[in-house]
Amino acid sequence: MNEEFTPKIVGFLCNWCSYAGADLAGVSRLQMPPSLRTIRVMCSSRVDPLFIIKALLYGADGVLIAGCHPGDCHYMKGNYYARRRFAMVKSLLEATGFEPERVQLSWVSASEGIRFKETIEEFTNKLRKLGRNKAAKKVFV
Amino acid sequence: MKRIGVFICECGPNIAEKIDIDSIVKEVSSISGVEIAERYKLLCSKDGKEYLKEKIKENKLTHLVLGACSPKQHEKTFIKVCEEAGMNPYLCNLINIREQCAWMTPDREEATAKALRCIRAGIARVKYQQSLEKKYLESNVDILVIGGGITGLQTSLLLASDARKVYLVEKNPDLGGMVSSFKSLFEGGNVKSVVKEKMEKVLENKNIEVFTNSEVKDVLGFFGNFIAKIEKDNKITEVKTGAVVVATGCSLFDPGQIAKYKYGKLDDIYTSLEIEVMNMGGRIVLKNGREPQSVAIVHCVGREEKGYCSKICCSYSAKFHDYLREKNKDVEIHNLYYDLCTSQFERGRKDISVTRISDIEEITEESGKKHIEYLTGDGKKESVSVDMVILLPVIEPGKNVPELAAMLRIPLDARGFFAEEHVKLNPVATSLEGIYIAGCVQGPKNILESITQSEAVAGKILCSLIPGKKLEPEVMVSRIAPSLCTGCQTCLSVCSYGAIVFDRENGICVTNEMLCRGCGNCASACPSNAITHKHFTSRQIYQELTEVLYPSRSMKEQK
Ligand SMILES: Cc1cc2nc3c(=O)[nH]c(=O)nc-3n(C[C@H](O)[C@H](O)[C@H](O)COP(=O)(O)OP(=O)(O)OC[C@H]3O[C@@H](n4cnc5c(N)ncnc54)[C@H](O)[C@@H]3O)c2cc1C
Ligand code: SF4
Ligand code: SF4
Ligand code: SF4
Ligand code: FES
Repeated sequence: MNEEFTPKIVGFLCNWCSYAGADLAGVSRLQMPPSLRTIRVMCSSRVDPLFIIKALLYGADGVLIAGCHPGDCHYMKGNYYARRRFAMVKSLLEATGFEPERVQLSWVSASEGIRFKETIEEFTNKLRKLGRNKAAKKVFV
Repeated sequence: MKRIGVFICECGPNIAEKIDIDSIVKEVSSISGVEIAERYKLLCSKDGKEYLKEKIKENKLTHLVLGACSPKQHEKTFIKVCEEAGMNPYLCNLINIREQCAWMTPDREEATAKALRCIRAGIARVKYQQSLEKKYLESNVDILVIGGGITGLQTSLLLASDARKVYLVEKNPDLGGMVSSFKSLFEGGNVKSVVKEKMEKVLENKNIEVFTNSEVKDVLGFFGNFIAKIEKDNKITEVKTGAVVVATGCSLFDPGQIAKYKYGKLDDIYTSLEIEVMNMGGRIVLKNGREPQSVAIVHCVGREEKGYCSKICCSYSAKFHDYLREKNKDVEIHNLYYDLCTSQFERGRKDISVTRISDIEEITEESGKKHIEYLTGDGKKESVSVDMVILLPVIEPGKNVPELAAMLRIPLDARGFFAEEHVKLNPVATSLEGIYIAGCVQGPKNILESITQSEAVAGKILCSLIPGKKLEPEVMVSRIAPSLCTGCQTCLSVCSYGAIVFDRENGICVTNEMLCRGCGNCASACPSNAITHKHFTSRQIYQELTEVLYPSRSMKEQK
């Protein structure tokens, strides 16, 4: 795959931790590829499994769900639900022939600007290796 | 007709240097629905806010998209601007092109492309945003405190004022709780000043109504508007309060449950609390009326069985040495412990002798003495004979805790104590807003820790329930469409706040907007898509999603 390819990543960031962590990365002027398309949600538990599947079908090369660390969710247990749904989506993707590596769940706190940057960089590199998402735009749901 | 205004902020050089604002303005001007698109130097400045208000009025704008900083930075500022301009603030979309774009993207062209994408997505989303009305609710600022131990007393004293009445309910005939049976404290200090003075002050305070020999029978409602029923002498008094503080303390594990300790079977085996009470009565004596010449203090009674350490027993056991030696300075005291959990201060006391054990094998009576056979920490069999045994049972939840929890609609933790909303972030709140926990109800604590919690609770209440100030409940709540709901109750099981109830009559679920915190969990759990999470509806999210990925498709749809 050529070096220039910038994958499209849809990132669902929870308002309280990961969105704030992303802001901190910016405030700290940490530089990263412009691959992320942020969608802010109040909690990672708002991410409906269908959002993930639709994102892949609409042309995302990867989907990131980022929330507070286990035990730190602003709504008590939201991220545990997110984790369960994520595991479900992942096995569903596997079963239906998608590449499950295209979805990722990460915990990023409001103080982890560096972790946010690293998450974006690592996921971007991983997707560069995987190449474009071939399932994109084939079907609409 | 939607009339959208798009304003891109330069933020001085912060955004302008990294992003080609003019090209964005040009691009978005042609999007259908966009009435006006302009750049401005500092939107959050006084002039900037006036500029926005004028533009809204002048162009009769119905929707606003601002390309500026993070919503964490200035969402509140622009909510106010919208309100002042007579626009519903939920029809404004603040797009973060500073922190998450200009400041983190090295290349100017790429930053511009990213910013444009974000703003286009913002425009697509704003078209589907709905006006939401803020609600204002009268609130009652009075407080119900359940439990008149040191924690309940302190909380009541901190909160009672001419503007705020406190109802203090104690099930026993007297206030004071456990501490009132202590003659001294392990840290030193005067118990009288700690508890007696507080009791007197509470009884004198005309803004505290004390109900002793009483019980709370029911608590209904929500933050700012609770109704509680207090029963005293078979008579029910109904009180209205804004918040409830649960300070019902704890109990001690019953050592009778473990046969080897022979508690209740042999004479002269006491629990720590019985020793406190006996000492308060004047003297610690054996059944035959004589003072003990030798005593064994057995720590960690029930710790294995309950599965947690109760933290304070080792510390308070230090004062038993003083109690005993005050009357008989030659008394022989053995401490048998599994794990010592105490501060350097007590450890540094040279006059305390401790033996680490791994098990108590048996306690028997031999010629009037208690003979304790135990295994040492490294497995050796040893024994000791003493006149008296003092057991330090672990602290466990109060007897009536499960019923109390059900009545208050708040959960318990794995040990059976009341659970805090968040161990680190919200340690004295519970999952039900307006119900707070403090002191030993939440787990073993010494007095200092209990008092600290009552101060935390008072702080929370004083800054949220303010006389004359109306409450603003969450607006971005979830709503269930009755026609789509199948009554499966999935949503009910995922909500951590008890905000969803099952309406038996109609066979569907309903959200209680007063309890909903707006996380959206239920909306993504509902298999029938019956739940709308206001301001984060699936429709709004799909607009954003489609636009950031596949612009032409969403543009087509909108035409
Ligand atoms: C033997 C012993 C010695 C200790 N020594 C020390 C010491 O030296 N120094 C120190 O810092 N700490 C000491 N502690 C810890 C200290 O006792 C606690 O930190 C303190 O009592 C906690 O206060 P509280 O008000 O939370 O609970 P409690 O003292 O247990 O008070 C709770 C009150 O609530 C009432 N109540 C219970 N259920 C209901 C209900 N349903 N409705 C109405 N009222 C109800 C109870 O009757 C009681 O009055 C000791 C503990 C023990 C067991
Ligand atoms: S609104 Fe935000 S982006 Fe604009 S000047 Fe103020 S801080 Fe900067
Ligand atoms: S999950 Fe959906 S269908 Fe099931 S009860 Fe709740 S709202 Fe109704
Ligand atoms: S949005 Fe969250 S708090 Fe509100 S009802 Fe749904 S799950 Fe409960
Ligand atoms: S609020 Fe961050 S994951 Fe729930």
